[in-house]
Amino acid sequence: MEAIEWVVLAAAAAAIGWVNWYFFLADRRSQ
Amino acid sequence: MTLATARIPVSGMTCAACQSRVQRTLQKQPGVADATVNLMMGNATVSYDPASVTAAALVDAIRNTGYGAELPSVDEDAFREQEERDRRTAEEFRELRTKALVSGVIGAVMMLPMLGLGGMTVMHSPAMLWMQAALTIAVMAWAGRHFYVRAWAAFRHHSADMNTLVAIGTGAAFVYSLIATAAPGFFTSRGVPADVYYEAVVIIIALILTGNAFEARAKRNTAAALRSLVKLQPKTARVLRGDPVVEVDIPVGQVMAGDVVIVRPGERVPVDGTLVAGESAVDESMLTGESLPVSKQAGDRVIGGTINGTGAFRLSATTLGADSVLAQIVRLMRDAQGSRAPIQHLADRISGIFVPVVISIAIATFAAWFVLAEAAPAVRGFAAAVAVLIIACPCAMGLAVPTAVMVSTGKGAELGVLIKGGESLQRAGEVDTIVLDKTGTVTEGRPTVTDVVRGPGRELALGDDEMLRLVASLERSSEHPLADAIVQHATARGLVMGAVEAFASVTGRGATGVVEGRALAVGNAALMADYAVDILPLADDVERLSGAGRTPMYVAIDGVLEGVIAVADPIRATSRAAIARMHALGLEVVMLTGDNERTASAIAREAGIDRVVAGVLPAGKVAEVRRLQEQGRVVAMVGDGINDAPALAQADIGMAIGSGTDIATEAADVVLMRGDLGSAAQAIVLSRRTMRTMKQNLFWAFIYNVVGIPLAAGALFPALGLLLSPVFASAAMAFSSVSVVTNSLRLRRARIA
Repeated sequence: MEAIEWVVLAAAAAAIGWVNWYFFLADRRSQ
Repeated sequence: MTLATARIPVSGMTCAACQSRVQRTLQKQPGVADATVNLMMGNATVSYDPASVTAAALVDAIRNTGYGAELPSVDEDAFREQEERDRRTAEEFRELRTKALVSGVIGAVMMLPMLGLGGMTVMHSPAMLWMQAALTIAVMAWAGRHFYVRAWAAFRHHSADMNTLVAIGTGAAFVYSLIATAAPGFFTSRGVPADVYYEAVVIIIALILTGNAFEARAKRNTAAALRSLVKLQPKTARVLRGDPVVEVDIPVGQVMAGDVVIVRPGERVPVDGTLVAGESAVDESMLTGESLPVSKQAGDRVIGGTINGTGAFRLSATTLGADSVLAQIVRLMRDAQGSRAPIQHLADRISGIFVPVVISIAIATFAAWFVLAEAAPAVRGFAAAVAVLIIACPCAMGLAVPTAVMVSTGKGAELGVLIKGGESLQRAGEVDTIVLDKTGTVTEGRPTVTDVVRGPGRELALGDDEMLRLVASLERSSEHPLADAIVQHATARGLVMGAVEAFASVTGRGATGVVEGRALAVGNAALMADYAVDILPLADDVERLSGAGRTPMYVAIDGVLEGVIAVADPIRATSRAAIARMHALGLEVVMLTGDNERTASAIAREAGIDRVVAGVLPAGKVAEVRRLQEQGRVVAMVGDGINDAPALAQADIGMAIGSGTDIATEAADVVLMRGDLGSAAQAIVLSRRTMRTMKQNLFWAFIYNVVGIPLAAGALFPALGLLLSPVFASAAMAFSSVSVVTNSLRLRRARIA
């Protein structure tokens, strides 16, 4: 795999993590 | 703290996620004790402390979430509320249709080059690309504006719905295209063609709006039954007023209780009342489902909204406005149609987590394509990710259950079966045992005297009429239906009744008292035994009468057995067929009665009932229902809403068989407006059909997403080379919601026999 592909994979994993944190956890924490 | 309740109209909600978002926002407001948001009805019912928060602040809180809300008007009644809701839905439909049409035309023009028309090279010149970008912005800002506004409002509240998916999908496609237009070299230098997706963005918006417009219209149709009930309410009434008395036409709202209202042939009865002069046959089919006109004479009750036949009559107005039968039905229907069935919880739970999961799948799709695809990985990955966002449809799941509840309760109202909500509907579909109260349910409820048998030689000492007169004098003080039959019989024979002293009603046995100095005891064998009266001389007669389904009552005067009066309550003409239908549905039919075993068995035999519990006192009905439930049965109890109220409340489903006037009865889950048992069977059939529709809807909504999302992600590409374009994905998404609503609408045409 090329470097750009690793970058995309890492960015995707981070984005998925952020989406799930933002919609499922962040709201509960702020209450 | 005294809580106030406000019902706030909310517009712009499209799915279960929208509903839960508004609900959560309201529940978080200070001073709000409870908030329930109703997607189908488009309103929020909020209980709040007026000292801490105002209705205006609640409206503002809803508006901040991106939805429309208005202050509820104070004097809004059920009719006006429905008319207002219809007006809003019609407006929403017209707006969606116009936007869908205009953006569809723009999208079609932009797609011409793809179809080999209009010149590919011309369309891909920089000037044309900028023109397309401008048109796309215009469509997004005008037709698709609400997607972005609501998606942003949802995002700020850490929530996501269908609008989020549409906004991210089209937004990403637009930004990608804009970069390709402004800096094509960025793509070409990396060996990727600088493709644009402007037409896809416009077409996606057009298709989703088309789906929303169809959905709005179909949702409007689900309320058709409620709307036709509202239309039954006449606007004016002709009343007698003034001095000298003259006929004047006044708005229905100004009619007062006690006003004499004139109803001419063919007119709609304007208000509820009691007929005071004239006679006619009235068509009550719109409220009771009863197809034959019902004859009305002085003293009979007529219901506002029904249609007078060929006679003319005058009525004295009774219940008016919000208390009228029609207003009660409309209110009950409105609450029922917006209520939730327990089966919906599953859909709600999935809808709640659906959108973030879909966004995650879309990101994963892009990454997978980027890493695995051999040619143009970024472009293909991008198209697949957009397709995933667009095809995923939480709306179909949100609509699966409420639309079925709405259509089904409406269908029920047409049949004269008022079902009080989604929960009742679901439970009625699970019933396996139906318990019937005998009097007034299986039978007419109007007992009449059929036989008078005298003790040996007694008629020489006391004439038949004299015995009947004394008994009727006693029974006049009793409230038992059998006693009423004797009084009616004596009155019809012109007998003049005397005064009664020391009257006593002995529950489950009969009545005693003194009339004109003579001690009377009228009742069953147990009562006679209490007074040591020998009943042997008439034992054979009693046996014969009981065997024929009549209720014999011994008459003892001054300790001597004078005779037996038999009363029979004829079986309703429709009961036999209805009970056969219940058997065909696999239900066990049980009849409860206070009658003796022999009489009860004879009636049960005639009606085709397989199990009878005789000698049940009024309080024993609850115990009997509970006993059946303890055997693991799901029990429906059919009885009148007043005497049988405790048993109706105990049963899993209480069905009040009514005169069509006691709709408000709290104990009942289902009100049968038509006084025959056939409608109880119809209620069960309708509930079962509705449950089937709900399950079909949920199945298709789930399957659609389970199949659609992997397809859009490109799961079939390695094997078949098949990849779904975002445009097809948007068409499929629009179709899914419409198909669910259409499936629910099929219930309207279902034959419920």
